[in-house]
Amino acid sequence: MAKPKILPKVNEYDCYEIRMESIGGLGANVAGKILAQAGILGQGLNGLNFSSYGSEKQGTPVKGFIRFTEKESVRINSPVTQPHLIAVFHISLANVLPVLEGLKPEGTVVVNTNKTPDEIRDILKIPGGITVYCVDAIKITVEEKVRMNAPMMGAITKATGFLDPEQVKKYIRETFKKKYPQVVEPNCKAFDRGYKELQMKVLAKDDKYDFIEYHPFMSPIGYDTAPMGGVITDFGNAFIKDLSGSRAGYIPVWHEEECIHCGQCDIVCPDYAPVFGEGTDHKGKQGMVMRGIDYKHCKGCLKCVEICPTDALTGEIEAEVAEEILSTVPK
Amino acid sequence: MATGVIEKAKNKKGAAEQVVDIKTGNEMAAIAASHVNFHVMGYYPITPSTQIPEETDRMKAEGEHDIVMIPGDGEHGAAGICFGAATAGVRVFNATAANGLLFSIEQLPVQSGCRYPMVLNIVARSVSGPLDIKCDHSDIMMALNTGWLIFMAKDPQRIYDFNICAVKWGELEDVRLPVMVTSDGFFTSHQLRRVEYFSTRDPVQDFIGKFKPGITAVDPNHPVTIGPYMNDPDLINNKKQQSMAMEAAYKHLPKIFEEYAKISGRKYELIETYKMDDAEVALFILNSPYDTVLQSVDNMRAEGKKVGAISLNIIRPFPADLIRQVFRNTKVLVVGDRQDSYGAWGGNMTHEIKSALKDDPENKTEVLSRIYGIGGKEFYVEDGIALLEEGLEVLKSGEVKKRYAYFGATETAKDYKPVQAFEPITEEEASPEIIRVELNPKTGVPEVKGVNMRALTKMPKRIVPGHGACPGCGIFPSIGNFLKGIKGHVVMLWHTGCGMVVTTGYPYTSFRTTYIHNLFQNGAATMSGLVEAYVERKRRGEIPGDEDLTFIMITGDGGHDIGIGPTIGAAMRNHKFIILEYDNEGYMNTGAQLSFTTPKCMITSTSHVGPAQAGKATFHKDTSQIMAACNIPYVFTAVESNFVDLVKKAAKAQWYAKHEGLVFGKILSVCPLSWRSDSRKGQEVIQAAVDSNFFPLYEIERGITKINYDPEKRNKKIPAIEWFKMMGRSRHMAKPAYAKITEEVQNEVDRRWARLKAMAESPVL
Ligand SMILES: Cc1ncc(C[n+]2csc(CCOP(=O)(O)OP(=O)(O)O)c2C)c(N)n1
Ligand code: SF4
Repeated sequence: MAKPKILPKVNEYDCYEIRMESIGGLGANVAGKILAQAGILGQGLNGLNFSSYGSEKQGTPVKGFIRFTEKESVRINSPVTQPHLIAVFHISLANVLPVLEGLKPEGTVVVNTNKTPDEIRDILKIPGGITVYCVDAIKITVEEKVRMNAPMMGAITKATGFLDPEQVKKYIRETFKKKYPQVVEPNCKAFDRGYKELQMKVLAKDDKYDFIEYHPFMSPIGYDTAPMGGVITDFGNAFIKDLSGSRAGYIPVWHEEECIHCGQCDIVCPDYAPVFGEGTDHKGKQGMVMRGIDYKHCKGCLKCVEICPTDALTGEIEAEVAEEILSTVPK
Repeated sequence: MATGVIEKAKNKKGAAEQVVDIKTGNEMAAIAASHVNFHVMGYYPITPSTQIPEETDRMKAEGEHDIVMIPGDGEHGAAGICFGAATAGVRVFNATAANGLLFSIEQLPVQSGCRYPMVLNIVARSVSGPLDIKCDHSDIMMALNTGWLIFMAKDPQRIYDFNICAVKWGELEDVRLPVMVTSDGFFTSHQLRRVEYFSTRDPVQDFIGKFKPGITAVDPNHPVTIGPYMNDPDLINNKKQQSMAMEAAYKHLPKIFEEYAKISGRKYELIETYKMDDAEVALFILNSPYDTVLQSVDNMRAEGKKVGAISLNIIRPFPADLIRQVFRNTKVLVVGDRQDSYGAWGGNMTHEIKSALKDDPENKTEVLSRIYGIGGKEFYVEDGIALLEEGLEVLKSGEVKKRYAYFGATETAKDYKPVQAFEPITEEEASPEIIRVELNPKTGVPEVKGVNMRALTKMPKRIVPGHGACPGCGIFPSIGNFLKGIKGHVVMLWHTGCGMVVTTGYPYTSFRTTYIHNLFQNGAATMSGLVEAYVERKRRGEIPGDEDLTFIMITGDGGHDIGIGPTIGAAMRNHKFIILEYDNEGYMNTGAQLSFTTPKCMITSTSHVGPAQAGKATFHKDTSQIMAACNIPYVFTAVESNFVDLVKKAAKAQWYAKHEGLVFGKILSVCPLSWRSDSRKGQEVIQAAVDSNFFPLYEIERGITKINYDPEKRNKKIPAIEWFKMMGRSRHMAKPAYAKITEEVQNEVDRRWARLKAMAESPVL
C-alpha cells in the first residue's frame, strides 16, 4: 500500500472514513455532501457519501457516511463501521444508541457540546488515545441563525486535518447561493466559528473506557420464531421505545399548581405524551386530571405550550431543565 | 446546475467536454433525461426512485430542459401516460420501483408488444408485503418477461451512460423496443459518487440523433389502427417479431457501446469479469455489490485462492453465449440472487445461467444458488468472501451439500422475550358513556351530545405513544381525536403513507387494536372484503352475533389519488365502514411530492418554483365532493382545531356506518416538515385554512349539505394569502410576481365556497 499523500491515515481498503451521528432536521445530510464535494472536487480525492436509508422523519436518528481515498475507485459502498472520525451532532443520541461504535483506536471524536473534552469524555465514555474536539454548535447556530450543520462542518474540517476549509466554504457557497443567497454568509461565518472555537484534547492512553465493537443492527426476532406473514402479535409494543432523542433542544414543563385540567394538551399532542387519569382537581372535584408529561415519548414540538390556556405548560431549553423533572414518570 | 469541475476529459481523444462532479444515481438519471431532452415524462413517486422526477422537475423549473412533466394518478396511470405519449411520436421517460413497477406491469407488454420505445428507470426495491423500501431485485426480476430490454447499472456513472445508450438502442429501426435501466435502490440511487457527464447536451443530441417517430396516432394523412384485436393465428407472429427484435438488439449493443466510448471515453462490455481467466470458483452478482466483491476477490487471491467475479450490464437480452464462454473453466459458480423464485430452488439468475450452461455439453460447472441481501440487507467484503468460501468448500470436498440456500437469514436472539405492554382494550373501557347519539324524533337525523374534552381524556388510546412521526405532525391528533368519538372495538386498515410507516416499524407496532396495511391503491377494496366476510361469519354463527366491530380505513390524500377507484367502488357497494382521509396535501412519506390536493402554485418536491415554473400547475382536488356525488349516507370535513365538531362527526360517522353504509370523512392535517410551518403552531395553521374558506367545515347527511362553521358569520374570515404566508411552501405567493396566480387561487376558493353555501341554503342539496 503506497503511503497516502493527503489523507493522514487510511484503513485496509485505502480509505479514510467519517461517520456522522445525527437526527433528521439538523442537516447532517447536506454537511456530508458539502464535505465530500470539498474533498473530491476541491482536493482531487475520490470517495463517496451517503446517509442511512429509510423513511426517516424529522427527529429520528440518521447516520451520515463519508469515505475518502486516493485510489482511482471506491469499491466499498456499505456503511462505515470502523470510522477514523465520528461526529456527534446531537448528544442525546448517546442515550439511545452506541454512537461511538466501531471507532478506531487513535481516532477522532467531534462533539456538539458546551462541555469540555474531559467532561464529555465521561458522558460519552470515550476511550483513551482518542482526540476529542468539542464545539458549542448550538450556541453558534443560535447566534448566526443557521442550521447545526454549519458549525459542525467547521469542526469536522479542522478535526480531519486534511480537509481544506477554503474548499469547504466554496461548496457551502455553491450549495446555497442560488436558492438562498441570504444564508451564504451566515453559514460561512458559522463554519469559521466551528473551525476556530474548538476545545481539543488528545486523551492519554488509559483503560478508563473500552472501545465498543461494531455490531450490525439485528432484529431480536428471527425466522425460527417470527409469526408467519410478518404479523406483529405484541400489540402496542412500540410503547417501550424511547423517543427522547428526537427532541431538538426544547421541552414543555408542566406546573401542576397552574393547571386547570382542561384536557387541551391531550388533544393537540401528536405523541400522546400528556398523561391523564382519574383524580381530584384544583377545585377538589373528582374527574380526569392531568398528571404530567411522558418525556420518553414527548418530541418537544411545544404544541401543548401554545394551546395551554394558563401558564401550566411552559417551553424550556431541555439542557436547563432539572434532571428530576425529566426523570419523573407520571402514573 | 453543475457544481463540478469542467475539464476536457483527460487522455480521451475526441471525447467531448465533460464535467467532473459528485452525484447520486438518481441525479445522474435526471441529468441524462435533461440531456436527452425527452418530450414527456409520465411518473408517479415511489421510494427510492422519486428523486428522478424530483430532480427533473427542479431542472425544469430552472428552464434547463423542455420535458413535459405529467404526474400520474398512480403508476398504472403513469405507464398509460407514457404509452399514450409514445404513440404521439415522442421520446418518453419514466422511473419507478417495487410495487410501482408491479402496479404498472400490466401496461409494459402493451408498450413492448405495440413496439413503442421509451426509457424507464427501475430503482430496484423489494416488493411488498410486508412493505420494505430498500433494495433487492424482486421487482426487476418480475419484469423479465415483459418484452423490454433491460440494463443493469451498478453505479451512478453507468446510470447516466446507459440512459443515453438506451435511447439510441431502443429506437433502432429493427429494435423499436422500450428499455429499462435498473440500479440498486439507495446503494446506487442515493450514494454520491464521483462522476462525469457532458457539459452540454449537444454531444448527447448528436449521439442519439433526431427522433424518428415511426407510426404515430397523430398523422391524419396516414390513419392507423394501433393495438387491434389479434387472436390466433396472428399473435404468434407478432411475438416472433418481438423475439427477432431482441436478437437484433443483442447484435447492435456492442456497436452502440463502441460509439458511445468515442464521445465519452467510457467503454462498456455486456459482461463484467474480474480475475476470471484462471478462476476455479466464481461469484456471480448483479449491480451494487459487485465492486465490493472485487475487494473480496483480491483479499482471497492474496491468500492464493483462485477466485473471480462476474456481473452483467444487461439481463435482457440475456448474454447466454458470453456466459458460456466465461464459465468454460469454472469449477464452482456461486450465484448471488437478490430475490427468490419461490419454489423453483433458486433466484431467476441462477436459472438463466444454468440454462445457458446446459447448452454447452462440455460444461461441468457446479452451480450454487444463494439468496442474499433481501430487503436491503447490507453487503460487506466479508459476505463476498463467505459466498466464495462456500464455493471453495465444494471444490475441496467435491460434494454439493446445499445447492440452494438463504444467506444471511437469522435465528431469534436467545434472550428474546416478546413484549406484552398492554392488555387488549375491552368493550367497556372503550365505551365510557360520555358521548350520546340520539335520533332527532322529527327529522330522524342522529344528533351527538356530551362531547367534553376533559372527560374524553378517559378514552383508551387505540394508537399508543411510541410512533416515529415528526415533532408536531398533524396525523396523530387528527386521527386520535376522531377515535375519541368512536366507542367499542375498532379494526383499522391504514394505507401506505407517513401514518403507517411511523407506527409499524417491525418488530414494533403502535396499534393496540387490530390493524391491517394494504398498499394505498387498494385499501377500500380490502376493507370491503373484510367487512363483508365479517358480516358473513356472524351470519353463519362463526362469530358471536352480539359482538360488534367498527371498521375504519385510514388513508392520506395521496392514497386517494392512486386508490380513489377502490374507494368509489366501496361507495357504489355502500359497505358499512368509515373511510377517513387525513389530507396533508402531498405525498409526505416519499418526501413531499405534489398530490392532486396540493393547492395551485405551492412548492413541493415535484412542483418547484423557478424562472420557468410557478409551483403546482393545477387547483386542489375536492375529494369530499367526489364522494358526495357517490350518494353515500354521510360525508364530512373536519379539523383538529375544532375538537367538538370533529368528535361529533366521528360519533355520527359510527352511527351511519353501523346503520346505513359507507362514510367518508376528510381531515385537513398539518405537516410541519413539508409545509414548512412552525411545528408549535399546528392548530393556528389549520384554523387559518378553515377561516380562509380554503377548507370549509361541513357535512352532507343523506345528501343534504350543512355548513358547520361559517367564518363570515363569525367575523373570522381571512384572505387565503394570510394562510399561505404562514407556510414556507407558499410564502412566495405573497410576492408581486405571483400576484396573478394567487388571485386565481383566491377566486377558486371563493367560487367553491359560494357553491357550497348555495348547496347549504337549498333544501334539496
Ligand atoms: C404502488 C405504490 N406506489 C407508490 C408508493 C410509494 N408511496 C408510499 S406512501 C406514498 C405517499 C402517500 O401519500 P399520502 O397518502 O398523502 O400519505 P402521506 O405520506 O402524506 O401521509 C407513496 C407515493 C407505494 N408504496 N406503492
Ligand atoms: S412528514 Fe409530515 S406527515 Fe409525515 S410524519 Fe412528518 S409531519 Fe407527519
